[in-house]
Amino acid sequence: MKKILVIFQKEMVDNFRDYRSWITGLFWALFGPLLLGGLIMLIGNTVRDTLEESLHLPVSGVENAPSLIAFLEQQDVVIEAAPEDPESAVIAGDINVALIIPPKYSEDFSTGKTAKLQLVFDSTRQSAIADINRVQDLLEGYSRYIGLLRLSLRGVSPEVIRVVQVEELDTATPQSQALIFISMLPYFIIFAIFNGASPVITDATAGERERGSLEPLLINPLPRGWVAIGKMLSAIPFATFNLLITLTGFAAIFRLLPVEDLLGIQIGFDFSTLMAIFLICLPIVFLACAIQTLIASFTKTTKEASTYLPFIGLIPSLPGLALAFLPVKPALWTMLIPTFGQQILINQFLRFEPISSMNIVISSVLTIFLSLVFTYIAIKLYEGERIITG
Amino acid sequence: MIQVQGLSKSFRKVKAVQNVSFSAPDGQITGLLGPNGAGKSTTLRMLYTLLKPESGSAQVDGFDIRESPLEVQCRIGVLADARGLYPRLSSRENIRYYGRLHGLEGEGLERQIDSLLTLLDMQSIADRRTEGFSTGEKLKVAIARSLVHNPKNVLLDEPTNGLDVMSTRAMRQFILRLREEGKCVLFTSHIMQEVAALCDQIVIISHGEVSAHGSPNDLRKQTGQDNLEDAFVTVIGSEEGLER
Repeated sequence: MKKILVIFQKEMVDNFRDYRSWITGLFWALFGPLLLGGLIMLIGNTVRDTLEESLHLPVSGVENAPSLIAFLEQQDVVIEAAPEDPESAVIAGDINVALIIPPKYSEDFSTGKTAKLQLVFDSTRQSAIADINRVQDLLEGYSRYIGLLRLSLRGVSPEVIRVVQVEELDTATPQSQALIFISMLPYFIIFAIFNGASPVITDATAGERERGSLEPLLINPLPRGWVAIGKMLSAIPFATFNLLITLTGFAAIFRLLPVEDLLGIQIGFDFSTLMAIFLICLPIVFLACAIQTLIASFTKTTKEASTYLPFIGLIPSLPGLALAFLPVKPALWTMLIPTFGQQILINQFLRFEPISSMNIVISSVLTIFLSLVFTYIAIKLYEGERIITG
Repeated sequence: MIQVQGLSKSFRKVKAVQNVSFSAPDGQITGLLGPNGAGKSTTLRMLYTLLKPESGSAQVDGFDIRESPLEVQCRIGVLADARGLYPRLSSRENIRYYGRLHGLEGEGLERQIDSLLTLLDMQSIADRRTEGFSTGEKLKVAIARSLVHNPKNVLLDEPTNGLDVMSTRAMRQFILRLREEGKCVLFTSHIMQEVAALCDQIVIISHGEVSAHGSPNDLRKQTGQDNLEDAFVTVIGSEEGLER
């Protein structure tokens, strides 16, 4: 058994000197925090801009509706002169929305008929949606306000046209709005683990074969399975290191960025949460090293290995991405799927939800069991002749 | 001491080695001679436990290659056809790795490494990473690491392949030296002159079978040829494999 340690030590030295490979792996660890940080900044800025700044509304035919204009100006809208051709200006993206007041408006308005207004916008443009909604709400409000005034003048109670009144009770707390961001975390964490292990494993398995050093290595007096185990174990420190870097990166992002100012919400990401996530992810580290050792041992060249391995990392991390949009309850069946269970658990930790320790045990045990199965297959592969003859 | 009885191996439909038998005694150099693709490397690969024979058996110092491969591995030093090194490790580290895999450690191991570095005249490259080494330098590291546990039996697959004249001479000297130390040396070659110059015993293999076996003199007598080269051609029935 001591010879497993010999293999492990040699691979550690060899891999550590191959700094290009593990620095590439490290990049993936930082990728998640940087991307998420960037997204928060971007979306935070958009949200803040549209909420805090007054709305600039290009209007053509201002002179036709002085009372409407006065109403809008009261509501903190800055009225601007509309361009010659509002429609093409919207299409070109020069303006988000434009209001056209036709000459007939004035006449219809004063005679009490329904007066027509035109609002020009592109509903598919995400960045314009806040402006569009605001103008629509304001115009709707103005219409209701004048309507109520007219009814009152005719001695009709405004309640006649108000059949139902909807009181909205939104149970989303500020924190749960932030979860769309937080839900992406497991995806990045798992991706970082797999990518921390893959360059190291590629070199130790496919690289060994490509260099022609596998055959002489296997002539040494030790069971071939130990070679496979030693190689797999040597990837674990690199994957664990990547996990730590990624978690630290996320913690730093949430600490350094004024998330509360940017999104108007608070995110809890304290030390104990970090530790819990780290521990939950350790079985995934084992799984990532085992499955990638197995796959890479089948390949003949490092090039072939680096074609397959990124997909291996992508598959288990995809459910995490889906979780951001389709929340799944932490039912027992989800814990039976390695990596998926952990992703749900990570989410639960971030939401400060009560966590069943049974779920943690089940998902960990199953992930470790699957890793052992992969390790066993890798050992069998090394014991066979295929590893030599290809 | 290596004994081989009726060894056979095929890859799918190709019969690479068929019923090969010979023995290689201690203190002698035995050469497996044959054209490319004759089955020399496959025979050697079975002897150094990398491939499992389909039928037949072989023993190294009395240990069966199938039943006790680990015992066999402890008793052989192998220069395989694939002789890749670890480019990010120095010569010394490459050799030390194999020493440790043989269960050696500490001062004993370091002394053994130093004596091999001296023997192969490679002190100047001892602590350099092997990346960018010449073919000759790489070969020296590969030989040193395969002999680090001082094995009684030495198996060399085409040891002079790709070497220049000076390195080839040095390699032949080295093989003779191994014989002086009383080791059992078994090597493959497709170069007639090399085998003739070094071997006490020649096993000629063609198309996976042993077609002649004996000392150079025996072979000359068997074929009725004065010249070993002619004897070789007579045995394998063609002129393939004759070089230099």
